[in-house]
Amino acid sequence: MKPEPLDDEPRLTGRGIRQSMSDLHTWAGLLFGWILFAMFLTGTVAYFKDELSQWMRPELPFQAQIPDRAAVAQRVADELNSLVPGSPQWSMRLPDARNNSVYAFWRTGTRAPDRRGFGEGHFDPVTGKTVSSRETQGGDFFLRFHFQFHYMSALWGRWLAGAAAMFMLVAIVSGVITHKKIFTDFFTFRWGKGQRSWLDAHNALSVFGLPFHFMITYTGLVTLMAMYVPWGERAAIKTPAERGQLAAELSAFIQPGRPSGQAAPLASVEDMVRQAQERWGRDGVGRVTAVNVGDAAARVAVSRGEVGRVSMSPQLLEFEGTTGKLLSVRESVGPAAEVRGVLYGLHLGRFSDTVTRWLYFLVSFAGTAMVGTGIVMWTVKRRSKLPDPERPYLGFRLVERLNIASVAGLSIAMTAYLWANRLLPHGLPGRADWEIHGFFLVWAAALAHALLRPAKKAWIEQLWTAAALLALLPVLNALTTARPLWRSLAEGDWIFAGVDLMCLALAALYVALALRTARHKPRTRPARSAAPVGARLAQEGA
Amino acid sequence: MKHFLPFALCLVGFASLALATDRQQHVVFRRALPAATSTSLRVAGWLGLLLALAALVAWQGWSLGLVMFSGHTSLAAGLVLLALIGRGRLQA
Repeated sequence: MKPEPLDDEPRLTGRGIRQSMSDLHTWAGLLFGWILFAMFLTGTVAYFKDELSQWMRPELPFQAQIPDRAAVAQRVADELNSLVPGSPQWSMRLPDARNNSVYAFWRTGTRAPDRRGFGEGHFDPVTGKTVSSRETQGGDFFLRFHFQFHYMSALWGRWLAGAAAMFMLVAIVSGVITHKKIFTDFFTFRWGKGQRSWLDAHNALSVFGLPFHFMITYTGLVTLMAMYVPWGERAAIKTPAERGQLAAELSAFIQPGRPSGQAAPLASVEDMVRQAQERWGRDGVGRVTAVNVGDAAARVAVSRGEVGRVSMSPQLLEFEGTTGKLLSVRESVGPAAEVRGVLYGLHLGRFSDTVTRWLYFLVSFAGTAMVGTGIVMWTVKRRSKLPDPERPYLGFRLVERLNIASVAGLSIAMTAYLWANRLLPHGLPGRADWEIHGFFLVWAAALAHALLRPAKKAWIEQLWTAAALLALLPVLNALTTARPLWRSLAEGDWIFAGVDLMCLALAALYVALALRTARHKPRTRPARSAAPVGARLAQEGA
Repeated sequence: MKHFLPFALCLVGFASLALATDRQQHVVFRRALPAATSTSLRVAGWLGLLLALAALVAWQGWSLGLVMFSGHTSLAAGLVLLALIGRGRLQA
């Protein structure tokens, strides 16, 4: 059968806008493709960061029911009072459907022995006492890596992520222009046609999720907007007081004022949380923050949770700390701040119910596959035109190897991070950091492997490695913790069971990919290939 | 369960839209359907999508509704495509 002309190949009629857009799409996509793939995959997984964090702290017991938050807040406040008496500021995140512990951080004041004067801990909602669990960053590592990477200053990382997101926007727009038959080809997938199939898959993955991908890229830029374009803010906001006001408008924390120096105990935190619950519902309370604790000038803010409202703009009730009198209600911010809050909220998707969270996950996963098929297609398209397929030029080999390390290698590294969580000894100094070092060591090893092995073998071996590590993770979990899959299933612990089952499902996906790659025979395009017949035959025989 | 209705509407909507195209008619029925049938399929498809959007917006308001709509449509379109691919593979 005659090969159909590809949409993105040069026309005889010279370079039209579509061709320029196609070039732009190809090269912008390739240049940032590897970074975007890593951002997409870690960001996708980060939609379940709280669940992953629970899985990575198996010492915190399974929470069958969310305990009464008001009572929990009081218990932990009491514990904090004895732990850090007279703290200038503490803040606790109350347990919810996705968090089985109270996470609190506090400032210890100037008399603290450690320089930074900050402390943090997880508290058992039932007893109010601190729980000692293995040191780990949990799922938050993936979230942070997703927008600021690691081993570089957060500032540089965010600039890099922002640049990648800008290129993503460029790639989306140029991709839509290049793809001239969006509606006609909407449901088109031609199986087993080499480059054509890759292009169809790439198109389907891109077009189906287009509104979502556009939203996620744009809102992603908005989350870091103040950093990228600070000049407006700098021009409008000059004094420290104004800056404090801006911070207060955008954040759920209250700023500590000057303490009075007069000691006074904190009134009932439980009552304050109950008042907030009357206003926002039983599950509507997210966080309790207190400043100048133990002083007559103490204040307490109870802020609203994120579930059920698409905005990160804070809503809070502020109380006088010593009497528990309601001082102010803040339930709205200015229009500009609210727009930011909504766009921010859309990106994070924390408001979601479980179904919407899965939708976010699946569509983001499709986005990951879109970037993956895109960067692989660069080599698929060029392989058929190589003068000598046995010895591709350096640029081709480099792209090919980087593709392997960034697609298959990253999957191995991310799973290795979870393995490190189960295998590293509890008392290891800097344990949480070593989990992350483990992630990067494995990723570097994957890159070395991809550079040293023949490309096709490297793909297959790495895909099988990822599949094996994922499939064995539930086994490792059963061996190293008291919460194996069968027990979590029996107890209805869907957080642990969910992570284990998800690993098995992903393992199946990687097995399928490995088998397909192993069976794949690169196609040559006789009409275009400049290679002599002998070389083509040799390649097909390989 | 409230997600089920909009999702089903999206699924039916995309399936109708797919069957309204010439290419899929040839793949699925091995012939072109009458023009009137294609048109009604197309209308039914868009109607399904609009109804799904209406159901989500009525339930969750515009901001959440639109986000959920983009998720449901992506998933539904993906499933319809997978079904078409699967069918094509079985016939091949």
